[in-house]
Amino acid sequence: METNQRSTFKLLFAGNRMMNSAVILVVEDHPLIRLSAMELVEAAGFHAIGAENADAAIAILEARADIRLVFTDVEMPGSIDGLKLVHYIRDRWPPVHLIVVSGRDKLHENQLPAGSKFFSKPYNDNTIVAEMTRLLGT
Amino acid sequence: MEPFWLWRVMLVVHDALVLLVDFSLIAFASNKPGKVSLSMVAPINFHPEAAGLSLMLAVITSSDAPLVLLDGQLAVIAASASFCHAFQIDPASVPGKRLSELGNGEWDVPQLNSLLEATASGAAEVQGYEFSLNRNGLAPRCLVLNAHKVKYDDREQTRLLLAVADVTEARANDKIRDDLLRDKAILLKEVQHRVANSLQIIASILMQSARRVNSEETRGHLNDAHGRLMSIAAVQQQLAASGLGKVELRSYFTQLCKSLGASMIPDHRLLTIEVSVDASVTDGNTSTSLGLIVTELVINALKHAFPENRSGKIVVDYRSHGPNWTLSISDNGVGMPAPSEGVKPGLGTNIIEALAKSLDSEIKVASANPGTAISVIHAQLAVVPVARIV
Repeated sequence: METNQRSTFKLLFAGNRMMNSAVILVVEDHPLIRLSAMELVEAAGFHAIGAENADAAIAILEARADIRLVFTDVEMPGSIDGLKLVHYIRDRWPPVHLIVVSGRDKLHENQLPAGSKFFSKPYNDNTIVAEMTRLLGT
Repeated sequence: MEPFWLWRVMLVVHDALVLLVDFSLIAFASNKPGKVSLSMVAPINFHPEAAGLSLMLAVITSSDAPLVLLDGQLAVIAASASFCHAFQIDPASVPGKRLSELGNGEWDVPQLNSLLEATASGAAEVQGYEFSLNRNGLAPRCLVLNAHKVKYDDREQTRLLLAVADVTEARANDKIRDDLLRDKAILLKEVQHRVANSLQIIASILMQSARRVNSEETRGHLNDAHGRLMSIAAVQQQLAASGLGKVELRSYFTQLCKSLGASMIPDHRLLTIEVSVDASVTDGNTSTSLGLIVTELVINALKHAFPENRSGKIVVDYRSHGPNWTLSISDNGVGMPAPSEGVKPGLGTNIIEALAKSLDSEIKVASANPGTAISVIHAQLAVVPVARIV
């Protein structure tokens, strides 16, 4: 009996995920901020994957085809920063939506790929969720 | 009337004195720094005009700033001691040499030669010409040269006065200063980045906690704390943007109210926050305090002024005149209830009173019919001059 219940539970869970949760990639080097952002994404009804720098983000994007939005910080260690990352992603995977945040610089629209949004840190959680919902159309 | 022979003696004495002055100006070569040593070439005509010429040469040769007097062929007539010392030219080697022949040829530079020739012919002047003096085995010196033709009496002889300023140290100091300024700007950006990150962490923790708690009251407290935090964060962003430690209140309050609206207003068609602020600018501390007051009063209005999905508007107004200012938050909601006996003021009230006091201001509460208007007023007493009765 128990086994049956557990398998039913797993099936239901996977089914829900496949049906309504878009996958969002959160790129942020500070672990606490990354975890908070991932929790925010999950609380909004999406599925979150985390990466701690641009190189890891690109590896994930190459490995799976279901990432629909990338949410990234600008200042990160590694070969490229968040700004270069989003330009690279737009070039290589055009359909992926992009949201950029930064604690240091205030970026202008013309520095970002078309259609992407910028928010200063600390960002307002509701504002971010609203933007993600708007972009992913759920 | 003196006897004729006395005149002749006086003339001889005069000539001898002139001779003495002129001979005393002739080079005593010395390489010891600090000792006045001179270098002079052309023979002096011993007549009274020579005294004036001698004075000019004496001025040149004893000048602190390196000076060189050249003739029309760019040969050195006189060079100051400071020039010889600064550029390690043996004064004894100077007589009869052209400028380009001095030292080991480090002054023989085509651009300099053509500039000096043009100056000699009257076609140009050398003004602020940057010249790098490169000598074997020595670090290059950054020089700034000025040269012009000297006109005096009716003389047809061409004379050029060349002034040399060694700015090597000054240029190096400029570079150090510019590097320091750039490092300082980078450090400031780093600090802003860390502050923003720290505030982000705290904001995230508060929101996470608010999502997890079961108690509505606790969730309310956590959301209030989040609101206050965002108001401080907004000041940081304004300060970072202005870079001068000054905050433009109109843009600060607008950003703050937008943030509060985003966090706390569930339906923007029902409730709006309007900001009307003049062009006032204040420092970081004052704007932080003002922002916290605005946060408290706006949160209060949102919580209490519009029960049961009542729609309405909150207006944040600030204007200043000289040192006096008034901040007012008003709403068109249900109005404030009469104060109840024995009810302790909440945290929000305490915060507002403490902040108002720290800003030397007083709080006035009035009914806006409908709604409430709360003003925080900072007014200094003006001293009115007494009219004089004449």
